[in-house]
Amino acid sequence: MKKDLISIDDLGLEQILDYLDLAARVEALPNAEKAGLLPGKILATLFFEPSTRTRLSFESAMCRLGGRVIGFSESANSSTAKGESFSDTIRTVEQYADVIAVRHPKEGTARLAAEIAGIPILNAGDGANQHPTQTLLDLYTLRKFFGRVDGLKIALVGDLKYSRTIHSLCRALLAFDGVALTLVSPESLRLPGYLMKAAAGTTATFRESESLADAIRDSDVVYMTRIQKERFPDLVEYEKVKDCYRLDAEMLEGAPAHLKVLHPLPRVNEISPDVDATPHAGYFEQARNGVIMRQALILDLLEKRSNT
Amino acid sequence: MTPQNILLIPKIERGIVIDHIPAGLGIRVMALIGRWPELEDAVVTLGLNYKSTRMGRKDMIKLQAGPLPPRLLQMLALVCAGVTIKRIDRFEVVEKVVVQVPELFDNLARCINPNCITNAEPHVATRFRRIESGSRYFKCAHCERVCSLDELAGHLKA
Repeated sequence: MKKDLISIDDLGLEQILDYLDLAARVEALPNAEKAGLLPGKILATLFFEPSTRTRLSFESAMCRLGGRVIGFSESANSSTAKGESFSDTIRTVEQYADVIAVRHPKEGTARLAAEIAGIPILNAGDGANQHPTQTLLDLYTLRKFFGRVDGLKIALVGDLKYSRTIHSLCRALLAFDGVALTLVSPESLRLPGYLMKAAAGTTATFRESESLADAIRDSDVVYMTRIQKERFPDLVEYEKVKDCYRLDAEMLEGAPAHLKVLHPLPRVNEISPDVDATPHAGYFEQARNGVIMRQALILDLLEKRSNT
Repeated sequence: MTPQNILLIPKIERGIVIDHIPAGLGIRVMALIGRWPELEDAVVTLGLNYKSTRMGRKDMIKLQAGPLPPRLLQMLALVCAGVTIKRIDRFEVVEKVVVQVPELFDNLARCINPNCITNAEPHVATRFRRIESGSRYFKCAHCERVCSLDELAGHLKA
């Protein structure tokens, strides 16, 4: 049976840890060896909404494994602009490729693609729902920096209401042991109640705060997010909160030495460029880890992991 | 039943009784029955707001017709789970089933999330799975939005 990666909720802890281990093995491979793993294989990147970063990360992952990439980067460049249904696009593209990475502004598209296609589907983001490859690369980054995910103290900062990155990461972190989450957001962008409820019965703890400075003092990780203009139904609300949290090097002066700042990128104003030069900046390495994790996932879905 | 009730809604010789419909939902259930052409010729009696020792008030429908279509039963499970379906033969109840909330609703309702792909491509069959045993909440198999039973009942497919 073919495999897909649609939702972090489909993965148990064991499977998540398996992907982290596989990514570590992929990272350890010499580049020349990696480049020979997927000759003749084609990844289709179907991006119905723009996302340069995720798309390039997928494409880089495939190219560095020796495979090739086809696709489009916005729906205006696809037959959707001519009125083709999403289902038909998937049925057509599966004839051209071995694996599909799909991003779409509507929720549920990746699951639908997986139902339709006979080839593996990777969810590269479906509306405000899931972004599982981002979650796995975040977990991989945490484990690389700290050697573990269990017991980490993590501050999640910014848009906790609309950010699918945050929602997926939260759900995954609940599977680990004793993760302490500090939620830093303005009142209007708080984490949805159902995610708080999901923590009941787990060993995770939640604490809400409006102060970024407080969170920095008592965290191993500060995970910043962009306030996403495109997710706001009301732009007046966006204007009120768009620059509510800005992290700069000065704020990090009293931070624990081991503290890492992560961000799914792209950033706008929420992390000042002067943070880049501090030892706390972890977001560019996080982006690099994205390629490694996506390589691991593509190999697994194409049943080529035994080559690692 | 009191003698007065018997006058209000007479016994049927053969057919189906949908009993213990929560008061106020009887007309909704009638509208659902009206969707099935095969029930078009059935003689139907609708009783509203009867006294019930168990429910306080209840509605009841009697159809002089054959078995209810399975999809109608599924819709009843969505709209008014807990109703009793009685099969009547020669004025006697020969079979009695209480409609339970199932674990899965297969293509019965539209997703409450307007941004779910199933609403953009209505030919796609929806599925809503119960989030845990005994819960009144269901998760869309596509967009993963959690919906209450009442919300889904308000979004029945045509």
